[in-house]
Amino acid sequence: MSALIRIITATDPHIRDQSLDAFCRGASSQELLDECESLERFRTDSGNLYERVRALFFLYAIHRYHLPTKPGMAARALIPYEGYTNLLNRRFEEAIEIFQKTQREQGANDGISSALAESYHRLGFQILADQVRKSVRSVRGNQWMFRTGHTADQPLRIRPDLFKLQPGRLLFPILREATPVRMDLTHSGWSDIFFLGMDFPEAARVINISVDLSVRDPDGTAAPNLPRPPVEAYFRIIDKPVLRLVSVDLATSAEITTLAEIFDFAKDYLGLLKAAIISSGIVPPGMEGAEQPLSDLLGRLGRPGHGIELVSRVNGIPKGSRLAVSTNLLASLISVCMRATGQTHALTGELREDERRQVAARAILGEWLAGSGGGWQDSGGVWPGIKLIQGVVASESDPEFGISRGRLLPEHKILTDMAELTRQRLQDSLVLVHGGMAQDVGPVLEMVTEKYLLRSEAEWRGRRQAMELLNDVLKRLKSGDIKGIGSATQRNFEGPIQTIIPWASNLYTETLIQRVQSEFGEQFWGFWMLGGMSGGGMGFIFDPARKSEAQGRLQEIMSQTKRAFESAVPFAMEPVVYDFSVNERGSCASMVTGPDALMPAGYYPIVVPDLLRLEPRNLSATRRAELDRFSEATRTEPEMSGMVQTLFDHLLPHGEEGEGGAESIDDLLARLGFDRVEHEQVRSDLKNGRIGLAQNRLPVNSQIVDVEPNDVYDATGELPQRCYDDGMRALAAGELAVVSMAGGAGSRWTQGAGVVKALNPFCNLSGKHRSFIEAHLAKSRHTSRISGTFLPHVITTSYMTHEPIENYLKSEGNYGYEGPLILSPGRAVGLRLIPTARDLRFAWEELPQRILDDQAQKVQDSLRAALISWAETAGEATDYVDNLPRQCLHPVGHWYEIPNLLRNGVLARLLDDRPSLKYLMVHNIDTLGANVDPALLGWHINSEAALTTEVITRRIDDRGGGLARVDGNLRLIEGLALPREEVEFDLSYYNTSTTWIDIDRMLAVFGLGRSDLGDEIKLAESVRAVAARMPTYITLKDVKKRWGKGQEDIYPVIQFEKLWGDMTALPELSCRYIAVPRMRGQQLKDSAQLDGWLRDLSAAYLESLCDWA
Amino acid sequence: MNINKAVITAAGSNQRNLPLQTLIDRDGTEKPVLAIIVEETLRAGVEEICVVVQPGDEKPYSEVAGEHAARLQFVHQSEPLGYGHAIYSARDFVSGDPFLHLVGDHLFISRHEKGCAQQVVEVAEAENCAVSAVQATRESLLPYFGTVGGQRIQGRPDLYRIETVIEKPSPTVAEQQLIVPGLRAGYYLCLYGIHVLTPGIFDILESLLATSNQPIGVTLSDASSELAKHEQYLALEKDDWRYDIGVKYGLMNAQLALSLSGSDRDEVLSNLLELLAQRELGAARKLDTN
Repeated sequence: MSALIRIITATDPHIRDQSLDAFCRGASSQELLDECESLERFRTDSGNLYERVRALFFLYAIHRYHLPTKPGMAARALIPYEGYTNLLNRRFEEAIEIFQKTQREQGANDGISSALAESYHRLGFQILADQVRKSVRSVRGNQWMFRTGHTADQPLRIRPDLFKLQPGRLLFPILREATPVRMDLTHSGWSDIFFLGMDFPEAARVINISVDLSVRDPDGTAAPNLPRPPVEAYFRIIDKPVLRLVSVDLATSAEITTLAEIFDFAKDYLGLLKAAIISSGIVPPGMEGAEQPLSDLLGRLGRPGHGIELVSRVNGIPKGSRLAVSTNLLASLISVCMRATGQTHALTGELREDERRQVAARAILGEWLAGSGGGWQDSGGVWPGIKLIQGVVASESDPEFGISRGRLLPEHKILTDMAELTRQRLQDSLVLVHGGMAQDVGPVLEMVTEKYLLRSEAEWRGRRQAMELLNDVLKRLKSGDIKGIGSATQRNFEGPIQTIIPWASNLYTETLIQRVQSEFGEQFWGFWMLGGMSGGGMGFIFDPARKSEAQGRLQEIMSQTKRAFESAVPFAMEPVVYDFSVNERGSCASMVTGPDALMPAGYYPIVVPDLLRLEPRNLSATRRAELDRFSEATRTEPEMSGMVQTLFDHLLPHGEEGEGGAESIDDLLARLGFDRVEHEQVRSDLKNGRIGLAQNRLPVNSQIVDVEPNDVYDATGELPQRCYDDGMRALAAGELAVVSMAGGAGSRWTQGAGVVKALNPFCNLSGKHRSFIEAHLAKSRHTSRISGTFLPHVITTSYMTHEPIENYLKSEGNYGYEGPLILSPGRAVGLRLIPTARDLRFAWEELPQRILDDQAQKVQDSLRAALISWAETAGEATDYVDNLPRQCLHPVGHWYEIPNLLRNGVLARLLDDRPSLKYLMVHNIDTLGANVDPALLGWHINSEAALTTEVITRRIDDRGGGLARVDGNLRLIEGLALPREEVEFDLSYYNTSTTWIDIDRMLAVFGLGRSDLGDEIKLAESVRAVAARMPTYITLKDVKKRWGKGQEDIYPVIQFEKLWGDMTALPELSCRYIAVPRMRGQQLKDSAQLDGWLRDLSAAYLESLCDWA
Repeated sequence: MNINKAVITAAGSNQRNLPLQTLIDRDGTEKPVLAIIVEETLRAGVEEICVVVQPGDEKPYSEVAGEHAARLQFVHQSEPLGYGHAIYSARDFVSGDPFLHLVGDHLFISRHEKGCAQQVVEVAEAENCAVSAVQATRESLLPYFGTVGGQRIQGRPDLYRIETVIEKPSPTVAEQQLIVPGLRAGYYLCLYGIHVLTPGIFDILESLLATSNQPIGVTLSDASSELAKHEQYLALEKDDWRYDIGVKYGLMNAQLALSLSGSDRDEVLSNLLELLAQRELGAARKLDTN
């Protein structure tokens, strides 16, 4: 029997919990391939879901992390396109079959292993997600909603109490639900992830506290607001047969008249309310696609001619608080709808335990429907107080029995046996904050799942420690030892949490902790990470004597630290400090009747302006009565004071002022030397269809084939000693400078957040969070020390990155870099355009797309339809100006970064200072493994080429062109220019964007010599002449727009660029290609790659190249 | 157990006129609804009958009861305190005996030789316990009925041991608490309107009436659910027809059902066909001429 199958199927935990890594370290590639064959058979034969999934994760990890490192594995491979398209379309089994067939034909190799790894990984998660969904559907109390497909089948009825009009008032009563949010004292190493609780219920334990909140005035001058339940939901009958949804917090409303609109989640900001309407059973999920009128359904639920109004409100708590605000709002909305439709024993008051469980199950369903995902304990706010939530082993009566060990829904045990003072003491010591960062926790949850299923050694140890820490916290809660809790949560953060997921911490958080520690010393009792990552919602525990002072200081420390880091780290909002109290009721409802039956104040500025535009006679009697009462309340109720002014502001919107206005974009453009003529040309070409995403491509009759045997020199092994010696000689003689390209925005890194990627402290290396620039400088330092001559290091910048990089380097003292460090400012800037519907459709409908999971795909389709409609309404190909000015501009591609060296005098200065300089090594900011390797330099010198470009063999993720023979000429080709997607899969090599340049030969291509570098006119003309020969690509980028309280929207925008790789197409430029090891050539484009980068030892490789200051 | 007494409730404010309506019974004779219900009771061998009415209603009831008037006793429900209270009003009449209970706004048509109530009485006498007739009902109709949860009794495909009864449950509650093994998905055992109850029900009703603050008062379901905790209480699943004459077209449907299962079946059928033919042919001719 295979050793790995023995591990998977073992009942003895000592065997079952053995690490895959430990086994693989000692195995040969043939042994691993044999194990893969056995695992492949086992995963299809085994009847146990979790054994199958574990086998899939084993297969993934072997192909991703272990086989590629084994001697004898071929690197070069061609990945079949058909397999890739199957993967995109979620046909994982077919993809695996095709990749395996290729593996049998080509032999095992790095490329196919990458494809297999990706397929196994995604299939594993698909099976787990399907199982969770199946369990959500089969929870008793949820099943009926999936078989109710016709409006006549609707078995719910709205409680008659809600139809009782107040005599003489004509106001329907309002049912109001107020729900606290939850904060986790510890989640035992993310044990609340559904899959983990279902796999190992005994280890799934969370201590979770329901809290009321208020946001402190940042200046500390206003009177404090008392903490209150942060989320509220309102339900009311209306005398119109529609569903009226209003989100007070997002300032939006809609009247829904068809069933189809309810299932259109991303059309507007009301997705959460729609999910609540569906998962509460008012419009059961089984009705998706039903054709009957919504009014029929509403009539059956209540009375003909009547409808429902559902209103949500979040009391000032920003997004990303790590307090599960959105899940608890969803739960609150579901609860109010369930109460109104008789699904709870009482209309008002607290919920019963079985009802809380039902609300939680429905919230899980709602999150699945709306395409989001939450932890299993997220709806903890529905319960009161402090509770221990733990996984439950599935018993015979559970639908999960026989499929997974654990149940989907955990058990909540309210901790009543605590010292009476514990709650108060906690309130007296804990300072709760939102640090201002809003990150996506999704990838973290996948990483944790994967590491646990693989039983990775350090992580598994971390998990066990986290479980013990929970016991420690429980003990201290009982005894009221808050200092001990502070110490435990800090140990948890520094120990298990970061052992399992290093990315849970970041430089911002570490700096905050350090500053608080140094300022408060012994009276700072500990840091407490809330939720899945730090940087957003966080807790700091203090000696109660200093809590009040600490609240004020933390606000200042956070604001100062944010200002220092804001160009490097994505912040969504200004940091805030909360006041909080433990909520002892959980979700609770009350009826508002009589003259008080008004919606919250924030509701009226959203709906009244539209009502005022109507003739009074067209308003229904109840609407008129409500307006009467509202008008009365604006004079008498403190909550409604100032409402008249607010309404005026809504009725007569005024132009925005200051930073966000269009004027400041014009100022900025003028200052940056924006070329309006060129911009208008681009716009006109784009509108007329002369340029566009489809027009980026070469003609379809272009012949694009893979390289021939001698086209690429293989430098993945050792290069001849001669090369090394020549390189070392050149280095010692000061013949080389390094150029790091940092002009780009790095959109993928932060999904268009507009921070400078080069400055992002992306990883803890040698005990400190380091930025990309620091890592590159450390490599230059290392090489300089070996060669004895310090390398000049140039960092190219753009309008977007120059100032932040300059300031940052200044504040960091150039990271102690001893050699010349020069910034090369970019000159060109473009103004982003709103895309054309044609380009959006091309990108989303014509190009191969990764199909998402069913429900997520529906949400994405709906979002894309909304974005196409946005582009059409906002004006296709018009200037994109509805954002911060810097978010509206774009750098125009890295081609310009090298000619800029000529035009801005940096190269001239370099040559003046060091006339021996002959070569440049140019690399992208995200190619972390690229260093000045003397042997490669030597090889380049000996090749006598103008350019030597480094390439790597292709893996499945390496998309975006490669090295090819295009109509017989060897050159790099961009993915954008390929006439058909499948062509890319015939190309063995991928461009690393690292290039060695012979300065004089390159100048010659521009028609220049060293002596011309002072002649600005000649320089400008020669650069323009070469630029004219470079293709201009139209690209679609994501840009974030921030609004409200930490809300972010992502918009697609059009920009144009010229890319350096196209230089290789110039016939007069002699160019060589050299294949380098993957660790040297791979680029970090997406922060989700980081964990794999650390685990496949790329990080260690980088550290081996660095001398830190 | 011998069952000699029956309680018919007819005091609901929306219900009180229904037993006074006239229908043609299966034997072709014109009868008030009350008479049909009384005959159902007599067919079950129960001869002492009490009707719970609102004060002042006994006169019209006596008038329509015709030949059965003499055997009817009337009890007042003095205040509209709900269904449970209506039954409780008959406590003195029942006087410590088990009794048959039928609702006054339903008509029952048996598919079998034996009457609907007769079948329930026979099971109660044989099993010596309370029995309620139930019918497997689609979940979309849950808002109209009390619904029972329980276990099937081995060897008796039509008998269940009742564990709980919930009045008009939401489907969510029904799915959590009232699923009965052996029924199709989405079907529940809903009360049919015929019960044999033991006198223990009155003590339960008394205590519930003393503590309840529900706006609809105490329901029979609340009391039955308690009863199931104290003594054996069975449900007899029925495939007979039951018609709620209080709903829209309820009386008409009940009339059609009576006629189609009685001696005038052919006549009614041919009348119906004629009506249909005239209407449809008339419409078709009109279309032709247009």
